[in-house]
This record gives sequence, structure tokens and C-alpha cells, in this order.
Amino acid sequence: MTPESTGAPAEAHNNIFLPREAKIIRTSRPTPSEKHFTLQLADHTPLEFVPGQILEVGVMGYGESPIGLASSPTRTDSFDIVVRTVGRVTTAINSKEVGDSLWIRGPLGHGFDLDELRGHDLLIVAGGIGLCPTRSLIQYVEDRPEEFGHFTLFYGARDPLQLLFTEDRVQWRGSDRVDYHETVDRADATWTGNVGVIPTLFHKTTNITPDTRVVICGPPIMFKYVLNECDKLGIPRENIFVDLERRMKCGVGKCGHCQINDKYCCIDGPVFTFAKIWELEEAI
Amino acid sequence: MCAFFIEEREFAPFVDRMAGSTRVVGPVAKKNKFVFADIESATDLRLDYDVTILPPKKVFFPPKQQIVRFDANSVEDCIEPIPTVLLGVHFYDIKGLDMTDVLLRERFEDWNYLAQREATTLVGSSVQTCAPRAFWGSVGRDIPPKGHDAFLTYMEGGYVFETRTPKGEALLEYGTFREATEQELAIAAELNSVVLDTCSKLLPYEATDIATTVRESFGNEELWDDLAMDCFSCGSCNIVCPTCYCFDVRDSWNIDQESGQRTRYWDACLTREFAAVTMAGGQKENFRAHHASRFRHRFMRKAAYLNEKLGGPACTGCGRCAAACTANIADPVRVLNHIMGVEQ
Repeated sequence: MTPESTGAPAEAHNNIFLPREAKIIRTSRPTPSEKHFTLQLADHTPLEFVPGQILEVGVMGYGESPIGLASSPTRTDSFDIVVRTVGRVTTAINSKEVGDSLWIRGPLGHGFDLDELRGHDLLIVAGGIGLCPTRSLIQYVEDRPEEFGHFTLFYGARDPLQLLFTEDRVQWRGSDRVDYHETVDRADATWTGNVGVIPTLFHKTTNITPDTRVVICGPPIMFKYVLNECDKLGIPRENIFVDLERRMKCGVGKCGHCQINDKYCCIDGPVFTFAKIWELEEAI
Repeated sequence: MCAFFIEEREFAPFVDRMAGSTRVVGPVAKKNKFVFADIESATDLRLDYDVTILPPKKVFFPPKQQIVRFDANSVEDCIEPIPTVLLGVHFYDIKGLDMTDVLLRERFEDWNYLAQREATTLVGSSVQTCAPRAFWGSVGRDIPPKGHDAFLTYMEGGYVFETRTPKGEALLEYGTFREATEQELAIAAELNSVVLDTCSKLLPYEATDIATTVRESFGNEELWDDLAMDCFSCGSCNIVCPTCYCFDVRDSWNIDQESGQRTRYWDACLTREFAAVTMAGGQKENFRAHHASRFRHRFMRKAAYLNEKLGGPACTGCGRCAAACTANIADPVRVLNHIMGVEQ
């Protein structure tokens, strides 16, 4: 069996834990807790990846955290990640500014099966920070609309302040390439849009058919309700793709933290078909 | 390869000469137990040991291992294998290493482990004393140990030394060997076969039947709650297991606060936070929050999940988990026989 690549230059006895340097070329703060980075490899080689794949992103002396790629490989001069400050490592990452370096390994894992999605209508359901890894696929579909059928995007957040990618959302609202719907669980005084959990957005469109390919990424609680809506619409489990999150340390199927039954979320996923994880008792 | 014989009086000089020219690791006594440790002199070596506290996996995958080093602007790897002779490994521990060889090589080759594996000459030795909790006589009996370079079988008068690889053959230079006779070889084969029936603990089921039944018991929460009731989530069963290889990764700085290292430490899937993810606002999502689900996960790994990959269960029958368990509940003989009795 040929070993898989960690993205690092091929050398004899390659150390799977050796990261590559990536320079921060742009940052923004979409919310108080999230930071959006645009990165470039220090050796200026392009990062080749599939939407849905992850990076182990680290700061030496602090550690690494698994982060989904948030930009499309069709935009090759740089790549994006969005990091939420939750602990020691992500705090260290989010203290970095333009010109600083992050140390990355990857791309890692099994991304979206583009061949399974091409030629079909597509619905992406993103909850909270789940928009970040799916943004990679959203951009891909925007860049290559001819490869896909009707494209619908549902996005929800806890409240208006948590909504990410303001510029993207303005563009999606005005775009005829995507049927975009957004909602918040709790509105504030400024909010005039939809209020309610994400599954309520299924009533806003008639474009979802049993043949639609569905991609779901969000907090664990969201999955069951969205899957329930898909069931009602008669969408087969093979056509539903879920992007899962687990604790990961190594990203290369060794350390054991992300195991879901006999699968490793980091290399067998993070994207699984719902048909596959339906068999896994520990998946959702 | 070939079979040789070394007289008992020649054995200590053989070990001493070897230890004088390379690093030798073997079983030594530690109070009333045994451990694999560096051998300075043949008098330390205890080939009559029953089982060591930790399996020899630690030679290749130490409890704490640097995986990369860094300074302010660069990162480098630190794979620095030490030529070693690992002497006196029982067949069940060789089989444990066969399993970690597969698992740490598959898909992404982990050279932090494999480089030391390649730099090591592994010499097996016959079991002279059976550990009280061992059950290797009834687990994976049809799977022969593979990843060793030579094998010593103790018998009256000396040792049969069977070389399996050129690395094993290279050890002949340290000792006074003659070719083994057919009769000595027959005795060695007999000894290594008879010893399989000396375990007092028995798992009297086919591994494939165990795998199927254990897998099917996943949803029987009452069964697993009951089996795991006294579990302290201490992870002792993981730490002593020859086929456990989970780890945590932590960074640390040197005193200059600029350079440092990224280190992996053994971890244990029985511990409470093993599968916990920190979510927004510091909330934890623990994917195996209950101790019974962690206990069950370990048994699924040992008896079912990895069987296809490994050609048999991920258990060697060494009995270390049974002996190490704080609550005396981790014994696979107890757990698996119970499941087979209840579920079949």
C-alpha cells in the first residue's frame, strides 16, 4: 500500500509531524471570537487540496488544531482558514498578524466527493462556524457553475453578531447563481431577516428534490433536525454528505482521538456520506 | 535461515560481548516484577521472566517522544534511531509489535516509530514461566509471530538460536555457537508448542465468532454498563497494552523561551476527556462521555474493529490489562467470555 501524503515535500523517511511554514497575508475579524486568515506557503508553492479537506494549523510552542480549509482550490494563489478562539492553541493562532507565520500540515482527510456532486442540484446547509469548511465548496461551485445544477445555500447562526463572511453574504443575496437563505436563532433590534433554527429554511424554497445532493456542516445538535427534513423530502442517505468535527491531535489516523467506531474522522472523513455514518453508532 | 546452539556457560559471555559493543535491551527484575531495560551485564538479564510490566513497544514508541524540534524561525524533525538489540521478547509481544508495525505503517508511515524498528535487532525467547493472568494460549494461536530477527529457546544445557534474518545472523559474531542438531530443534519446537497449553486462563471461542458477537453487542447498553460499572477511567489497561498506540501531543519551550519541542505522550481512550471537543463558549462536546462507552470502545478495538486489518484480534493474550486494572474488571477473559455467554 502506498502511503498517503501529508503535503510536505517527499523525502525518504518523511516525518508525518513536520509542518510547513505559511505566511499570513491578510486577516479580518468577522466576529469577536473568529479570525479569518489568508495564507500563502512560505516557499510560494500552491496548496493543492479538495474542498472539505482540513489542515493541522499550529503555532510552535502552543500546538496544533484541525481547521477546515475555507477557500476553494480554484483560487490557487492563497488559501483561507477561519479560526474560532476556544482554547490555548486557537488563542495563540488568533494572536498572529499579517507577516507572521503559522505552521501547517496537510491538506489532510477525505474532502467532498466532487464527482458525486457534479451534474446534480446541490444544497449546502451550514450552521455557525460550519460555514467555514463549506465555504471551500461554495466558492468552488461559484467558480464552476456549469458543473452543477441548481445551487441552494442555507446558513444559520445563533444571533446576527455571529454571522460570518459579510461580503460573501451580500454577494450571495444578489447572486442568480445561488438560492441563498439565512436565519438566526435569536434576533436583535437590527435584524429584519428570518428567525428560527436552520430546518425552518426548508420551507423557503421549492428547489430541493429527492435527487438533490445535500451537504451538512454544523454543530452536532443541528444534524438530526436537518436529516429529518431531508428524510421528509425523500432524499436518499447516499446523497447526503456530512462534514464532522472531532478532537484530533495527529490528523493522520494514528493518535486515536477522533475515532468514530472503527473510522478515523481525520483520514476517513471529515466528510462522510450519511449512508456510511448511519452504520456508525457513534457518529451523531 | 539457520539454527544454532549455544551452551549455557557460553550464554553470559555472548550477552556481555554484545552489550559491550551495542545497546542491548532485555527483561530485568524490578522488585517482584520485570521490565524491559538496558542491559549492562548478562547477570541482569532474566529470560525466566513471566511478563514485563510494560510491553517492549516502549523501545520504539516511548511514553514520551519528541516528534519535532523548533526554534524561533524553523522546525526540524528529530528521528534519531539508536542501534539496539532487543533481547528476550516472548512470542506474544512479538505479535504485538507485528500489529503496531501494521498500524503505524498503514496509510501514513510513522517513521518516528519505524526508524527505531529498523535500527533494532529483535531476538525472541521462549516462555519459561507463564504469567498468572496470561491467556495467549487461546488467542490468535494460528497467527505466528513475524517481526523478529532471531529466536532463543531455552532447554537443558543451553539455547537453540534460530536466525530469521541477516540481522539476526550478524549476532553470531558475539558468541560461540555450533549448528543445532535435529534433536535439539525438535525439542525446541516441542517446548514452544507445549507452553501454549500452560495458561490457566482460557478464551474458548474462535476469534471470528468473538468479533461478530462483540460487534453485535454494541447496542446492548445494559450489558456494557454492567461490564464497566466499576471502571475508574484511569486508563491503566491502555497504558500496559502492547497494541494500544493512542497519543496526545504537547509543545514545550526550552529555557530560552524561543526554541522547544513538540512531544507525543501516551494517551488512553478510557480517560474521561479523550474524545471531548471544546466548542464555542468553552462548552465541551464529549463524544464518549460515559465510562461504559469508553470501556466498550476499547473492547471493540481489541476484539472487532481491527481484525480485518490485522488478520486477527488486536490482542496478544498477554494479560497485562487484567493485572493492571485498578478495579479488576478489564480482563478480556472475563469480559469476552461473559459476552459470548450472554449474547450467543
